[in-house]
Amino acid sequence: MPTETLPSGDAYRRHVRAWLTVNVPAGLRIDQPGYRTPDLETCRAFEAGLHAGGLAGITWPVEYGGHGLTIREHLIANQEIGRLGLPESINSLGKELAGPIIMAVGTEAQKQRFLRPLLEMKQIWCQGFSEPGAGSDLAGLRTRAVRDGDNWRVSGRKIWTSASPWSDRCLLLARTGALEDRHKGLALFAMRMDAPGVTVQPIRQIDGSAHFAEVILEDVPIDAADALGAPDEGWSAAVRVLAIERATNRMYRAWRFENEVAHLVRACRANPTLNGIIGSGEYHRRLAEILVDIEIIKGYVEPTVERLAEGEAIGDRGSLMKLHWSEAHQRFAVLALELLDQAPPGADPEVAAARERFQHLYLRGRAETIYAGTTEVQLGIIADRMLKLPRER
Amino acid sequence: MTNDTHDALTAFAATAANAVAECAGLAPRARATCLAEAGLIGVLAAESAGGLALGLDHAVPVLHAAGAGLLGYPLLESMLLAAALGGQAEAARIVLGEATATIAWAGRATLAGGRLSGTVGRAPMADSADLILVLTGTGAALVGANAAGVTVRPGDGLDVEAPDCEVVLANATPLALLEADAVDAIEQGAQLLRAAAIGGAVETCLAAAVAYTSTRVQFGKALVSFQALRHAMSRQKLAAEHIGAAIARSLMRPDDRLARAAAFAAATRFGAAAVESALQLHGGMGFTWDIPMHRHLRRIRSWEAQGDAPGLHRRLAAELLTANA
Ligand SMILES: Cc1cc2nc3c(=O)[nH]c(=O)nc-3n(C[C@H](O)[C@H](O)[C@H](O)COP(=O)(O)OP(=O)(O)OC[C@H]3O[C@@H](n4cnc5c(N)ncnc54)[C@H](O)[C@@H]3O)c2cc1C
Repeated sequence: MPTETLPSGDAYRRHVRAWLTVNVPAGLRIDQPGYRTPDLETCRAFEAGLHAGGLAGITWPVEYGGHGLTIREHLIANQEIGRLGLPESINSLGKELAGPIIMAVGTEAQKQRFLRPLLEMKQIWCQGFSEPGAGSDLAGLRTRAVRDGDNWRVSGRKIWTSASPWSDRCLLLARTGALEDRHKGLALFAMRMDAPGVTVQPIRQIDGSAHFAEVILEDVPIDAADALGAPDEGWSAAVRVLAIERATNRMYRAWRFENEVAHLVRACRANPTLNGIIGSGEYHRRLAEILVDIEIIKGYVEPTVERLAEGEAIGDRGSLMKLHWSEAHQRFAVLALELLDQAPPGADPEVAAARERFQHLYLRGRAETIYAGTTEVQLGIIADRMLKLPRER
Repeated sequence: MTNDTHDALTAFAATAANAVAECAGLAPRARATCLAEAGLIGVLAAESAGGLALGLDHAVPVLHAAGAGLLGYPLLESMLLAAALGGQAEAARIVLGEATATIAWAGRATLAGGRLSGTVGRAPMADSADLILVLTGTGAALVGANAAGVTVRPGDGLDVEAPDCEVVLANATPLALLEADAVDAIEQGAQLLRAAAIGGAVETCLAAAVAYTSTRVQFGKALVSFQALRHAMSRQKLAAEHIGAAIARSLMRPDDRLARAAAFAAATRFGAAAVESALQLHGGMGFTWDIPMHRHLRRIRSWEAQGDAPGLHRRLAAELLTANA
């Protein structure tokens, strides 16, 4: 892998590297021998450590537990974290969705209550948007929130709610107005997952795990203090935040992707049969295209960070990056699977470890073109909002 | 980027677009004058050669306009060569539009005893050029297109408006020599500027597809209302944005050779497919000589060959395999 030249005198990057070198056990690095799939508590402790070490909540204000730095430092930390192949966050919906929304529309009291615990991994969040009848067409959601004095009561069904089996809070989108109002009359709540009337029914996923669930809500009480933003403006504020989030969340992706490519190549090169195969012209082309795909992801991320740092708007650029990353990542997973499946029978621990990683990646990767707005939805956004194509003539 | 730079780049783009449009009605020689008067050929060249001595970031919008407007002039080659020649007399002639220069991108000439021989190729518009840069094993040599021992003959590229030519050298005398690092700078710059030109072509073709599908009615409605076609145009837009993103990042990291290579590789891979898709959306009309989709496609395929996109991919893969042995 051609290494990146570091800007000289980059003190922050040195700090991040040094911290990771000292604090990350090899067992957490998926491309290293001795890696073991971490359990929930290991992940929780590791992520709490990342925050304590200054590597999470980087751009958040100090008074809410953040580190008060800029998005440029956020990028640097993500690059370094991505390179190491560390566990994916078990609280990304808290850190990258709920947190920024609370920061944008929450009251001072809500910021004080929610932000620091989330960074310290004392509160894990999930996102309750999708419903059995409302997926791509989110505005058709039916979960109802009705007034109960100053407080609220919520009933309905959420589905595909990631991390809900172990979450403490749910960023819940529910309807306060009429169904015909579509986007208007949708409100956001910070719902307690241990509130009476919340039932979580895990759903088995294609890889056999159960990271998401159906969440059934039966007359669940929600405190007035847990409503985020006004009942009819929470959603529009959330959409503004989401456009930026789509472009900036999981910013380590390109660098983690590089780690995956390097891992695959190392495993193949260490196996005599695969070493011969990967050196052939067909795989040359496909490997080079993947390198270029990764450079394009970086090409979306790095200039976008600069624009945001300069206070510029980024519009719907997040859709471009998400679309490209998800499809490129799937192409890579297919390549990895195909290569590793050509290994001859017999024990090769490196190939076995890589196969485990990339079989999992292949299966999980199928979701990347579905969640956070499907490929078709992103293409629609580009047609409607970026190209502004006329609708009917 | 400061606001001043941003304004300067916008101004460059506008000047370039105007000049490119004007060139369409001129003979090749007159195009040189037109481009020189607009200050475009000397964007990268030294001030002592009459150039502006600006960076590649200023050349990108110029080539973008050239690609968008199908400019029939070896502008990329002239700009890079004028810069590489520093303060030499030929640089000034190129910048002023007195001499048209091109580069033979494929093959190597042999330089022995101060004389050049061999056959090189992929020299766009060498048939109407005055100066040709040919690569040697260790650097490059500039020859006069009409000098003794230099024969220009048609090549076999797809582009008919800026045709690739072959150059046969038989004991030709070089006018000037370039060292390896100067040649490297030319090749690196060319990767970026070809990407910019392809990006421009994609945007022109996408705009044509949007315009055509917005007016063409089938099944009782404008074609643009069919989702399959909307999504096809979204993918064309995505291609244009991929190219733009890779270029922007490469400009931020001038010494990053992978980023530079990726800009060109992204442009060839996504750019050609986008133009082919725009052609498809024109139906039978897209298959006609009069609709310029094929002209863009021919040009892009020629740039791809001039930059040796397949060889570039092979090198990138080889580096990846070496780094992870
Ligand atoms: C692993 C995973 C994790 C998830 N986690 C969460 C979570 O934590 N919280 C949450 O709220 N949701 C979550 N989701 C749900 C996700 O957001 C939805 O699955 C997604 O929005 C698509 O909705 P759907 O499944 O109902 O599919 P549908 O909307 O029914 O779509 C089915 C297919 O039809 C296509 N389609 C739909 N409408 C159109 C159209 N107008 N034009 C063309 N094609 C169309 C879609 O692209 C898709 O291919 C998760 C999903 C997955 C797979």
